[in-house]
Amino acid sequence: MKSLALENLSKTYFDPYRGTQHTAIKDVSLKVDEGDFVAVVGPSGCGKSTILNMIAGFVPTSGGRIMVGGREVRGPGPDRGVVFQSFALFPWKTVAENVTFGPKMRGASKEERAKIAEEYLALAGLSHAADRYPNELSGGMQQRVGVVRALANNPDVLLMDEPFASVDAQTRMTLQEELTKIWEERRPTVIFITHDVSEAVFLANKVVVLSKGHVLEEVDIPLKRPRVWDDLVEDEAFKTLSNHVLQLVRRA
Amino acid sequence: MTVADETAPFSPVPYQRTWQAFKFVAPLIFLVVVWQVVVTVFSVNPRIFPDVPTVARAGWGTIVDGSLFAHVGASLWRVTVGTVLAILTAVPLGIAMGVSKPVSDFLTPLFRFFSVLAGIAWIPIATLWFGYGFGAITFVIFNAVFFVVAYNTLLGVSTIPMPLRHAAASLGTSRWQMLKEVLLPGALPNIVIGIRTGIGFAWRGLIAAEMIATNVGLGYMLFLARDFYRTEIIVFAMIVIGLIWLLLDRLLLAPLERATIERWGLVQRT
Amino acid sequence: MTAIYTIWGYYARWTARWPAMAAFVPFVPLIAAWGFIAWLEIFPPVFLPGPVEVVERAWTLLYKGILTDYLADSLSRLAVGAAVGMCIAIPLGVLIGLSRRAHDFAWPILLFFQAIGDIAWLPILLVWFGFGLTTMTFVIVYTVLFPVVLNTVLGIRSVKPELRRAAQSLGASKPRILLEVTLPGALPNIITGLRNGLGYGWRALIAAEIIVGTSGIGFLMFDARRAGSVEEIVVGMIVLGILWYIVDSWFLAPIERATGQRWGLVTS
Repeated sequence: MKSLALENLSKTYFDPYRGTQHTAIKDVSLKVDEGDFVAVVGPSGCGKSTILNMIAGFVPTSGGRIMVGGREVRGPGPDRGVVFQSFALFPWKTVAENVTFGPKMRGASKEERAKIAEEYLALAGLSHAADRYPNELSGGMQQRVGVVRALANNPDVLLMDEPFASVDAQTRMTLQEELTKIWEERRPTVIFITHDVSEAVFLANKVVVLSKGHVLEEVDIPLKRPRVWDDLVEDEAFKTLSNHVLQLVRRA
Repeated sequence: MTVADETAPFSPVPYQRTWQAFKFVAPLIFLVVVWQVVVTVFSVNPRIFPDVPTVARAGWGTIVDGSLFAHVGASLWRVTVGTVLAILTAVPLGIAMGVSKPVSDFLTPLFRFFSVLAGIAWIPIATLWFGYGFGAITFVIFNAVFFVVAYNTLLGVSTIPMPLRHAAASLGTSRWQMLKEVLLPGALPNIVIGIRTGIGFAWRGLIAAEMIATNVGLGYMLFLARDFYRTEIIVFAMIVIGLIWLLLDRLLLAPLERATIERWGLVQRT
Repeated sequence: MTAIYTIWGYYARWTARWPAMAAFVPFVPLIAAWGFIAWLEIFPPVFLPGPVEVVERAWTLLYKGILTDYLADSLSRLAVGAAVGMCIAIPLGVLIGLSRRAHDFAWPILLFFQAIGDIAWLPILLVWFGFGLTTMTFVIVYTVLFPVVLNTVLGIRSVKPELRRAAQSLGASKPRILLEVTLPGALPNIITGLRNGLGYGWRALIAAEIIVGTSGIGFLMFDARRAGSVEEIVVGMIVLGILWYIVDSWFLAPIERATGQRWGLVTS
């Protein structure tokens, strides 16, 4: 795992239909330490997904630099694992094949892949579903596969783009608790994009509030771990922090 | 671009399969009975429509003298050669064109135009280019399949959701791996649909072309029988054509579609 | 690279304003390439005429009135055949889709007759009706019929039972449910069937005109083949392509979009 730094990042789009430049991100700087968990929140259209897509290398930057472990990012690569809102599982591959896709790409042997599949499916609690196809699973199970598929590739940084936005509320809380548990055990460097304030406060060590393409405020979340919803719903500190962030987002 | 025709769902229990088969065959047997009764009761002129035994005897005749197999063999050989050549060229081309969005946007109208024109409309110029015979007919089949498959492949690649390509890229795929692991399987449902539609056009094109441009094949068999007013051979040949297409579609094309699309849950994409 | 992007930007803006242009511009380089190859005379001109010769011939045919007459003949045959085919196919499809027994009985028969295919009927139709309009109309009706019936059945059966139950509990009678719920629910499929059916029917028409014809675009092409006039064949092919392109993309596809996609029933 490595640290991540955004240095004066900006993004402008050329709109071919209007012929004008459109500014999505203005001069954003952010540092994420090794093993840290940072959530980025903001209203829709604030540019939070654009930032993640630039870190992932899916869209080019217009200015500034993105550094992962001291090396500048150019294009997508296996050093940054991505978890998508739409899951983006390969429908023509089984669950196990999806999880071992990354290792297969770098040429891991069959035995090696079988071991990886076993380990990470156990981590996701999906050992029984190894040979099923994604469309045969529920949304929550699909996203568990999505998360361990990214982890199984041993990325330096884990990028999560509203990963739990398209599952039901019950499942979402379970997935959030599972994610904190995995993070507490393995300490990956995580950037987590969401529009759900309590999700951000629950998961992260630091919440970055984004507004119209720039950083409004960085809020530290000194809540103790392990975090579970049963403890936190009544917790005063959690409520105060959530309220504070919520006010910022609503003003944004 | 698909004709959605699906029979009763496949059931694994042997007894049920027999029952399904019976349910499928029974109405056809009923139809044959009605045919015989109508022809007998209204004493239809056998030149207009022959009765069942006459057709059966004529059919048996073509089997005994081997002419049926010559015609069926010639037709199937043309379809196989034309289709295989078309798939081998159309799929790589379609994928290559579909990789970039601007390129596929630009080329889509061209391929729509030619896939609309594919098949029968090429018969006159094909006979001019290749003369009457194997070349012209195989060419008609080739381009019936080629343009439909290429267009559907193009469509298939360009409709692969962007997050899937992003996911593969962020997991470290090379160019070749992207092609093999993502683009080809992602486009496969559309490719299969294209093949099924294309062979449907090709089969009709084949019959039409054989009526015009050859001296062997199922279409020629039909047309020759018409020249001699052998209605019983016409009816027999029509039944053979229907059976071959049913077998081809049910045993080869439909299972292919099931094996890929339905298991992956991509069926709504058509 | 920047130059290409700039040109692409202009092109994208331009086609965004006039979407119809995106359907024409790609043909310009294709025609240029065709003209170039013909000009090089790699193939003899009797095999591959140039665009200029083809346009000249098209103009002559148009001027003499042959092209318009034949075009009208082909189109009216297609229209009549399609109309008759739909009048039979939709009620039949609704019946088969609603009743399980009718479905069990009719489905294998439908599949079998669909498998025989329109063109294989031509010889026996010639025996029955001779060379004429009846034969051609029959072939087109036959071709249009099956895709529409099969898709109507599929559409009727894919209407969600909850929708029917909702209508029932809101007090709708059986005929009302058919009219207000089942038919609109099946409409996207019916239109898809019509689109496929016309696609097949139109090819069948060409074949019928080639084999049976005394007029029509198919006849024009085959007559030209007999006379060895390759320009006229190419004129026929281009006319056919443009015609179907117009019918399909300005008429059928918009209807399909207006129903299925608007309601979110079809994702394409």
